[in-house]
Amino acid sequence: MFYRRAGIRHTRYQDERQLWPLPFDRRLAILIFLLALAAPFIVDRLYLVSYLLPWIIWSTAALGLNFLMGGAGQIHLGYGAVMAIGAYCSVHMVRAGVPFEIAMIAGGLLSAAVGMIFGAAALRVKGLYLAMATLAMQYIVDFVIIQFPAISGGTQATIQVPRVSFLGVPIVGDRPTYYVALFVCVVVTLFMLNVRRSSFGRALAAVREKDYAAAVIGVNTFRYKLLAFWVSSFIGGVVGSVLAVCYYRAISPDQFHLDLSISLVAMVIVGGLGSVLGSFFGAALILFAPILLNQFVGFLSSEFGLAITSDLRSHLPLMLYGAMIVGFLLWEPLGLAKIYANMRNYFLVWPFRHARQ
Amino acid sequence: MNAPHQAGAGARIVTCENIERSFGGLRALKGVGLHVDEGEIFGLVGPNGSGKTTMVNVMTGFYPPDAGTVTLFGQDVTAVKPHRIAEMGVARTFQNLALFRGMSVLDNILLGRHTHMRPSALGSLFYWLWAQKEELANRRVVEEIIEFMQLEDIRDEPVEVIPIGLQKRVELARALAAEPRFLILDEPMAGMNQEEKEYIARFILDARDERGATILIIEHHMDVVTAICDRVIVLSYGEIIAEGEPREAIADPKVVKAYLGERAAKRHAGVAA
Repeated sequence: MFYRRAGIRHTRYQDERQLWPLPFDRRLAILIFLLALAAPFIVDRLYLVSYLLPWIIWSTAALGLNFLMGGAGQIHLGYGAVMAIGAYCSVHMVRAGVPFEIAMIAGGLLSAAVGMIFGAAALRVKGLYLAMATLAMQYIVDFVIIQFPAISGGTQATIQVPRVSFLGVPIVGDRPTYYVALFVCVVVTLFMLNVRRSSFGRALAAVREKDYAAAVIGVNTFRYKLLAFWVSSFIGGVVGSVLAVCYYRAISPDQFHLDLSISLVAMVIVGGLGSVLGSFFGAALILFAPILLNQFVGFLSSEFGLAITSDLRSHLPLMLYGAMIVGFLLWEPLGLAKIYANMRNYFLVWPFRHARQ
Repeated sequence: MNAPHQAGAGARIVTCENIERSFGGLRALKGVGLHVDEGEIFGLVGPNGSGKTTMVNVMTGFYPPDAGTVTLFGQDVTAVKPHRIAEMGVARTFQNLALFRGMSVLDNILLGRHTHMRPSALGSLFYWLWAQKEELANRRVVEEIIEFMQLEDIRDEPVEVIPIGLQKRVELARALAAEPRFLILDEPMAGMNQEEKEYIARFILDARDERGATILIIEHHMDVVTAICDRVIVLSYGEIIAEGEPREAIADPKVVKAYLGERAAKRHAGVAA
């Protein structure tokens, strides 16, 4: 149908190795990018600020975590702490008068440095033990931020983010803020897409699948595990600073607690480990499912006169949301990205189903 | 065979001296010494558990030896890490396949080019500027190997879905992609039928004659060993019991005894006499 593969012949290696070898996929990607660019002019302000902007920022964070979890196969339960380090570092630098572009990179670098120290645990431990080591990072970073007034400004304090400009454009109002977040998101997305077709990504995948076989073809497993933590934490730090400057505009320690880390892990798993597209799907589901479920339950109680108490009404969405994650793990462990891939594969040969490989 | 070839004619590729290696109370290698010369196909044979794979693991840096030295291309590499040894131009395959699941045949073979590429995170970010040229150049080399190993029609398949005989061939292709000076093959023909064995034997001979690799092969199929090896060493319980020209070494009474037991060895001697 739309996704026709017949008749498409690549005669050069670079045509076959491009990001979207099928014309339909390519056009779809360009269309979505153009829509994202035009969004501030066609979408209502409320939707732009309270749905689209958080979705873009959280998707970028999920991409950074997915690089580590899906790409390099290392679990991380302290990604919220990584983002906190980037956020606090860049906000303090911005307050000290450093340009935002530099503060953002510096936040990323500090996150990368700290993240790599904890990531060094990955050289010795795997699986559950690594989960505990990264969980420890979450608590240690939380503790340090809260206990040092020089960082947090005090236990209950929030730090205001001053007005900043990005590449000469002052970030005031919704549109510039949105475009800064979109810019970072596009850069990280392109990086993630390119990683998979370059030697760097292949080496990471080799370390993930079989570390002794990776060593025998010359991959320094030690170095690549650390690099995976470095790159992932760098992205986390940058996203943390974007989150602080573009979305929260005032930061406090409780914005980066364990629940942020857990919801990011949920985004990666529900979206699909190792999938770029899945990170966007996962972020959308985890961010918006509770809102939609809440409205749905409200609709049920008002329209059908069901006796739903306010207690139940506030808890039911959470229960459904938990059930949904369990359901994903049971029936589609590869996540929303796999569901999309199945649909795409179906239409790729439709209506000649027997041609499916 | 087209290339004129003589055993022991070239330079020393690897020398192992008095290698000792124990696992707990088990002495897997009891002072084994061997050397492989450039251009040779060297066979390492012996009954199960005789220490062949351990020997190879010592050579490639997976198990540092308890005693003894390994010299590779004239350098002492006794406790050097496996990836460093790979960078020196040594490639190997594993007895139990060690392909990367979830990746295509093509990506698996491309990984063999790792030591010839300069992977970096920034290179990935600026793919079009930094990495593309290198990727395409290495793709060309890999396509040559795919053609050489006759893997054209499965290059886009995920490795876990192709038959085991082909997986072994992909692993050999990945090792060859590194353009190794020294290639170590750990039972490349295990579980193969006669036709597949002949294919692999042909690839091994071509790898030496056309690609200039020196080869150490661990193999249980004695017909293959006698057909392609220039020289063999027979291990039993971590000791060398015979070495030399394959046909002679395998007919050695100690080798027959190690494989078949005392009584069968006597009967064999009787038949031979």
